Amino acid sequence: MDYRYHNINSNEAQWLVVATVDGNSIELHDHQKGGGPAVLKRRLVCSLDELPPGTMKLVDVGKFGVGVYNVRGSLHAIVNYCSHEGAPLCLGYVGGTNEVDPDAPDRLRRSRDGQIVRCPWHNWEFDVTTGCNVADPRRRIRTYQVDVSDGEVYLTA
Amino acid sequence: MIIDTNVQPHFRFNAEIRDYLPDAHRLRSIPDVEQQWYQAPGGDYRRDLYGEHYPGSDPETVARHLFDDAGVQYAILNPLTRGNIADYLLNSRICAAVNDWLLDRWLEPDSTGRFRGTIRVNPEDPKGAVAEIERLSAHPKLVQIGVPMQSREPYGKPMFEPIWAAAAAHGLPVAVHINGGNGVDYAPTFAGHAHTYPGYAAFMPLNYFVHLATLIVEGVFGRHPGLKFVFADGGYDILTPLMWRLDTFWLSMRDQTPWVDRYPNEYLPAHVRFCSSAFDGPTDAAQMQRWMEFSGKADLLMYGSSYPHWSTSSPEIAAAGLDAAQRDKVLWQNASELYGLAVKETAG
Repeated sequence: MDYRYHNINSNEAQWLVVATVDGNSIELHDHQKGGGPAVLKRRLVCSLDELPPGTMKLVDVGKFGVGVYNVRGSLHAIVNYCSHEGAPLCLGYVGGTNEVDPDAPDRLRRSRDGQIVRCPWHNWEFDVTTGCNVADPRRRIRTYQVDVSDGEVYLTA
Repeated sequence: MIIDTNVQPHFRFNAEIRDYLPDAHRLRSIPDVEQQWYQAPGGDYRRDLYGEHYPGSDPETVARHLFDDAGVQYAILNPLTRGNIADYLLNSRICAAVNDWLLDRWLEPDSTGRFRGTIRVNPEDPKGAVAEIERLSAHPKLVQIGVPMQSREPYGKPMFEPIWAAAAAHGLPVAVHINGGNGVDYAPTFAGHAHTYPGYAAFMPLNYFVHLATLIVEGVFGRHPGLKFVFADGGYDILTPLMWRLDTFWLSMRDQTPWVDRYPNEYLPAHVRFCSSAFDGPTDAAQMQRWMEFSGKADLLMYGSSYPHWSTSSPEIAAAGLDAAQRDKVLWQNASELYGLAVKETAG
């Protein structure tokens, strides 16, 4: 038996996740303040062919679902729940964001293309690869581990 | 220790300004003071001060009222001009005349060093405004730039930025004050003209927020870290709810103005100050301390009497309900830091 510890800062609570490696399956237990342990399971999402760069699969897991994103060939997963007012975040438009370019006529430059999801309710921007809100990185959403094995995408959520 | 950050000195009589205008402009028509539609009943200034000369026009009388009677150690003089005038080149000459008069009649004869002054400039003539700042900024008794609250465009717009850049380069705060006059005036509220003076006086000062919001959102404060604005008609009491709105919109639409790289409210401590006003704050003094804590207003507010205005407020009234630390900040500490005025021991 092997233990790994991850500290994940979600919007409000800090989660202690204990990973138990038992043969081929991995189970993660959430120890949330005041609540019982929620079991995290490694589960099949789809084949990698079905999740090409620029696409997302919404997985029906947990209370709100989890979105698995292929950002330029790199896989990331975020909870389908905006840290603002709980909107289904993964239904939001995925694109880039703007940063300052002092020399451009409009002082704007596009950046992080394909990795920013905009909440459909109030336009809050989140970086899919980190779970951080672009305006205020302290306002995070939960992220999950994704891995690929034999051409299949697995989500641990 | 008390610093009064908002005093309006006046010419002894309307035509006195002509002595300070260049020959080329001396015969031009210039609006008199107290000629706008919204006048306080009985006159804009304290009734007991009207006499042979205009209220607030005799340095010795003003010194007696402020320094002797109210216990003030320093007074920041912020004279009005004559409103926004369509001939912006003439208006710049009026500003220069007011500045020369302020030096001649008030600042240079004051051997006690208790009066400080304002460099009035005309934002409708950005080139002229910058030139006036360059002409006078080295004078040790001129401690800020003065501009009207009334403007065709909010002060965050790019045509004004050279003026703010010059002010910041010389370490001079920019004081925004309602500049009543009979020039080209604009509706005093978003929804047009107020019916009577109370509607005007209650809401006109709140226009500062449009200037403040655009200075933040258009990135002016971000590009000029040393730039400070003083909103001299008060209105600090509506700051918190309006900053909440601005913060909320920024979270949703930050990508449109990425140069705003922090919550809008986080620009306040380094860039914004207010003068107190008789019309600001809770009507119940018991709520004052708590209200001052919102948006860190105790660090932003400076006592300003508005002398010789009819609503002149005393230091006691401005500090009513504040705790001891807030009182010190408002009555002198914030102003002492902003204007670099040395602290004097208060006797007794």
